[in-house]
Amino acid sequence: MVQTQAAMEAYNAYWVNSPLPAADVLWMVVILVIAIVALWQARTFVSQF
Amino acid sequence: MDLKLLKTQEHKRRVKFGYMWALFCAVLWGLWYIPGTVVWVLNPFDEMYGEIAATNGDGMALVIVAVLITAFNALTVMLALMVWNGALGKFGEMKRTLKEFHPCSKWFFLASIFGGPMAILGSFIAMGFVGGAFAAVAALMYPVIGSILAQKWYGEKISKRAFLGIGFIILGGITIFGGGVLSELGSGNVAWIGYLGGLMAAAGWGIEGAIAGKGLDIAEPDVGLTLRFVGENIIWWIIIVPLLAIVGFPMFKYALLAFEPMTLLVLIFAGITFGFCYVTWYKSFPLIGVGRGQGIGNLYGLFAVIFIFLFFGDVPSWTILLGGALCLGGSTIMFSEDTGEMESLRGD
Repeated sequence: MVQTQAAMEAYNAYWVNSPLPAADVLWMVVILVIAIVALWQARTFVSQF
Repeated sequence: MDLKLLKTQEHKRRVKFGYMWALFCAVLWGLWYIPGTVVWVLNPFDEMYGEIAATNGDGMALVIVAVLITAFNALTVMLALMVWNGALGKFGEMKRTLKEFHPCSKWFFLASIFGGPMAILGSFIAMGFVGGAFAAVAALMYPVIGSILAQKWYGEKISKRAFLGIGFIILGGITIFGGGVLSELGSGNVAWIGYLGGLMAAAGWGIEGAIAGKGLDIAEPDVGLTLRFVGENIIWWIIIVPLLAIVGFPMFKYALLAFEPMTLLVLIFAGITFGFCYVTWYKSFPLIGVGRGQGIGNLYGLFAVIFIFLFFGDVPSWTILLGGALCLGGSTIMFSEDTGEMESLRGD
């Protein structure tokens, strides 16, 4: 199912008031960075214990 | 260097990692509210809601769409956990744990019943029938249930200082969502099923934590959590979704329509945040105990407010700032506890 115009408008409306630039992409970048740091720490933990 | 000093240093490092995992859990749980909120306006869930609401009413539509979203969430969490276990080289351990059903896997399958259909669905029911603020406050109570169960069941120690810290964090959470709760409760005509949902969320996550604590005595947290989500996927995709389809809801029609790039992207990010938050939650339990792990994990309420402000621009009110200060105070009380107090988590 392709997204309707109404669905995309509702989706885009979420990011309009964000104080951050390009919030519609930035949230994904933040999640990826924190997830990679968590995974890196998990590897460190495995090597230490 | 003598053995006692080495043991103390090793113990301090374990506690440090335990608190770090619980903090990762809180940050990722808070981030989960971003994809968890926006997915509702995307298709096919938006159209599914409209179709079911037209025949069965808004309340029923909300619960049924929540079931499908939660089922997809469980599926993408599984994928995220496969990446996690693959990166840590734990597939062999997973096979071994899965085979040992009686001593190991049964605990994680049991945890999936309390965590999935009880806690997550209960939380969605509370959101739908009372409101989001009530659901969040109700869920904040889960460390009380978790720590009491862990103490009664297998004698986990919980110091007065840790309990005070948990109390501060819960009070902070209530203050954060307090204004919303009062307006939701004051609006009247609240269905009792909403309160039942809140109770399901608090009891479900608390019981899950205590059961997981027991299972983690003999299994790896990374692997144990993956098995818990295998259990949850079985519950959703083999039992509940087909049952709802049999009684006439368009479950499979909309499930197939969810394979659309935008929806899948948001669901995958929900899976990464939820999967990684859960695995770090489980990893904290053997290191600092169920009560402390759940207490620090409860900081998700504060992080959710921060991320919602940063990405959605919803400005926090003074109650949120006060609640945030209480949460930070509670965390500081717990972080600053002498690690010697935690040398034995089980009172032996």
